[in-house]
Amino acid sequence: MKTYDDPELQAIAVKLTSDDPGIRRVAVMDLVDSGEPEAVELVILALQDPDTNVRQEAAKVVDEFEATDMADALIAALSDSDEVVRNSAAHALADLKDPAAAEPLLEALESSTDSFVVSGILRALKPLRNSGAQRPALKRLGDASAQVRREAVGVLGWLKQPENLPALVEAAQHDVDPDVRRAATGALVYASPQQVGPALVSLLKDEHWQVRCEAAISIGKLNHQAAAPALMDATKDELWQVREKAVDALGTLGVIEAIPVLGECSKDAMSNLRKAAIGALGTIAHNDGRPYVVTALDDPDPDVRKLARWAISKLDAAA
Amino acid sequence: MKINDIPVIDTDVLVIGGGTAGPMAAVTAKEQDPNLRVILLEKANVKRSGAISMGMDGLNNAVVPGHATPEQYVKEITIANDGIVHQPALMAYATRSFPMIEKLDSWGVHFQKDETGDYDMKKVHHLGTYVLPMPEGHNVKKILYRRLRRNRVEIENRYTATRLLKDPDGNIAGMIGVNTRTAEPIIIRAKAVIMATGAAGRIGLPTSGYLFGTYENPANNGDGHAMAYHAGADLANLECFQVNPLLKDYNGPACAYVTGPLGGFTANAYGERFIECDYWSGQMMLEFFKELESGTGPVFLKLDHLAEETIQEIETVLHTNERPTRGRFHEGRDVNYRERMVEMHISEIGFCSGHSASGVWTDETGATTVPGLYCAGDMASVAHNYMLGAFVYGQICGESAVAFAKSRSEPQLDEGFIINELERIQAPMKRADGIPPEQMEYKVRRLVNDYLQPPKVTKKMEIGLERILAVREDLPQLCARDPHELLRAMEVQSIIDCAEMAARASLYRTESRWGLYHYRVDYPDQDDSEWFYHSRLFKDENGQMAHGKRPVADYLVSLGEEKDAYRKMRVQKAANE
Amino acid sequence: MPIANHHSSVPVIVDEDKCIADKGCTVCIDVCPLDVLWINEETGKAHMKYDECWYCMPCEADCPTDAVTVNIPYLLR
Repeated sequence: MKTYDDPELQAIAVKLTSDDPGIRRVAVMDLVDSGEPEAVELVILALQDPDTNVRQEAAKVVDEFEATDMADALIAALSDSDEVVRNSAAHALADLKDPAAAEPLLEALESSTDSFVVSGILRALKPLRNSGAQRPALKRLGDASAQVRREAVGVLGWLKQPENLPALVEAAQHDVDPDVRRAATGALVYASPQQVGPALVSLLKDEHWQVRCEAAISIGKLNHQAAAPALMDATKDELWQVREKAVDALGTLGVIEAIPVLGECSKDAMSNLRKAAIGALGTIAHNDGRPYVVTALDDPDPDVRKLARWAISKLDAAA
Repeated sequence: MKINDIPVIDTDVLVIGGGTAGPMAAVTAKEQDPNLRVILLEKANVKRSGAISMGMDGLNNAVVPGHATPEQYVKEITIANDGIVHQPALMAYATRSFPMIEKLDSWGVHFQKDETGDYDMKKVHHLGTYVLPMPEGHNVKKILYRRLRRNRVEIENRYTATRLLKDPDGNIAGMIGVNTRTAEPIIIRAKAVIMATGAAGRIGLPTSGYLFGTYENPANNGDGHAMAYHAGADLANLECFQVNPLLKDYNGPACAYVTGPLGGFTANAYGERFIECDYWSGQMMLEFFKELESGTGPVFLKLDHLAEETIQEIETVLHTNERPTRGRFHEGRDVNYRERMVEMHISEIGFCSGHSASGVWTDETGATTVPGLYCAGDMASVAHNYMLGAFVYGQICGESAVAFAKSRSEPQLDEGFIINELERIQAPMKRADGIPPEQMEYKVRRLVNDYLQPPKVTKKMEIGLERILAVREDLPQLCARDPHELLRAMEVQSIIDCAEMAARASLYRTESRWGLYHYRVDYPDQDDSEWFYHSRLFKDENGQMAHGKRPVADYLVSLGEEKDAYRKMRVQKAANE
Repeated sequence: MPIANHHSSVPVIVDEDKCIADKGCTVCIDVCPLDVLWINEETGKAHMKYDECWYCMPCEADCPTDAVTVNIPYLLR
């Protein structure tokens, strides 16, 4: 057994060789208080302990250490027989944020088939923005597991490479899982409106409301002017949440033709929507919107009245 | 060196308080110079201490390029605080805000990002965009702890500081304190001291009547405010109380920053919005208070109009971060966000710059009026600092304290003062019977609720002050049976100090300002001609509580048209008619 | 002035069968911001000694064996 200069760490190391798994477990917890860089070695050792409880404990504390030193051990732990260990390892890997971790992660990804392991590795790769992740992420967009596909979308979104847009558009429009579609729709905002505009417009009619919301938000972020008619249609969506996001986007885009439909929304029963509509009319600041804004000055909801006063000042300034 | 057989520990920089700002200050000091000795002293355990022991669900005041500018932020905070701010300190925060987010992000703190990795900012305030959610923000303390170990900061857990020490020239010289489990005293001589002891959140009684059911972590009982006062530091604008919206009986925050971006809102009994002004200010609390007392009250958190997916998202955030027993509380009362609104109320009073503006006077370098003493976080006077401000000012104080420590030699200690303080610390355990700290604490906090909770009335506050001073007269009977009770006995003395300061500061400013925070029924108007000042509270040369006015420093950012925009968002009259 | 003791129902419950304080574990005791959890001298297990709880949860969340349950204090329930 290796000996350590630091007396506290040495005491922990001794406890880790105890026959009593309870004592080994408590020793692992004590590792958290050690400032010695060598404590990491003992954590790695504990991750391979024969006792499940000890491994679980080690997995729970891995995120208290600089994880770069144990990337390999964490990747190995992704395949642990115990779910708690696997989960903790996946979380710790996601926090690596060290460019040097990309290589072992990519190697592990190559040979992994378990969807939990693959998701964990993809999530860890995402913030590293390593171009080597592009090819495997594109491949995993076709994975059978929705969780894997969702994480693959994340990797590609963070990479922001134009050549991945067709694959993301495909995922946004045709993936069977609504969460994957929503994530892909949100990822499209690094494109130009020409590249993804028609897709976003079609997504305003997705069967799942959260995808429709995301599409409206993305259209607003991209300032995709050609989407104005579709957004105006979306202000009649069956769900107020979608109507609200469409109204926000129409304001951002400054669509003067939308003033009548925004006016309709400013009379909606849902105050959140009235608020958004008056906000949009203020942002557009065109005199055609004034009658609706004036009416809203007497709205029963103070947030709407407040925005109406603000909108009037925008209208006056523009006049 | 030993005093009364107690070894004196020497350090370059001492940080008191291991919550949010303290660890950042300690780590920064070590980053500045790894060879300096830095001690972090914590009353509880650094791993889980302070206001964010279970993490934080979002940043309320993130100044992120592309979403807000430092100038805009400074303007909004100035207006929200009715003009009484130290703009250089706000600007120092605002310009360091984003680099701090980037630093925390690189350390592994989870901020919400969109699908391309950009910060997912949310607009909650009406003018600027400042909210950055942290749905997975429960790991903040773990990350700070990791940094403390990595930088070899020495940690002393379970020691409470009781008094600051000064050298004969009036510079800071260290502190004296006591172990909360053994009652052993500790004396630390330090070239520079940073205090980050949090809010004074145990001055008033929560509606539940449970002494420890406070809005703030009850460990944040105002020790730092009291110690700074006794060390001769200026405190500022203490009459600008913290009063926050929260759930009725349960001290969980109102979560406007969490639920607002998702469509939830604060409503009256009819499910209608009633708040006219923007979120940041005591003006909002005044409207909240008026609605509570009105025929359309009380006040509720309304989420029952939201979609199932959204409610699940809200539950996940609210029931895993910051105050995670919230879900259990609702369960016990059979309250489901889907089915009915949740009753809300207002908190007890406190001093907390995180949400309002009062505290130990702190300039843009983190310096107090005592040379070598720095302050950060909820106890420092920088307005509306929240968690990110605690981090930024922790960093600023770390830098300033290192520079000060390097500029001086070993401080000279006042042995006579230390011996007297040791006697004060040891007295409660020497008494076999008397008044237990819990009873004394209940009494003074009950008086604070009865006489100081706004709306403030002069005569009532005068009676309150008299009664609080009478409790102070009982201190020679304060007794403690064990070291734990001794901790409470030391705390109650700080609570009495804070209660007295709350009363005197409120009586001093003869106007109303900051909405409910300083709403004086018999001085209902804001009076800029007499009171466009920071109010000072300090210990004068005779050891008496004294007051004064500190001019408001020239603005770096003039208010311009936003002032009008903000006015348009206000109810026209502050009075409670 | 003489002092009386009074009873109080406390919010934190420790399952003594699960608690491993006897193996040297002090996690819940360490993380409590109000220092209200102590080792029970009779059983060697953790217990709530002082009714001064902020029901903040680190003791429950950090317990390695899920032995700790934080209830809402009776006055708030």
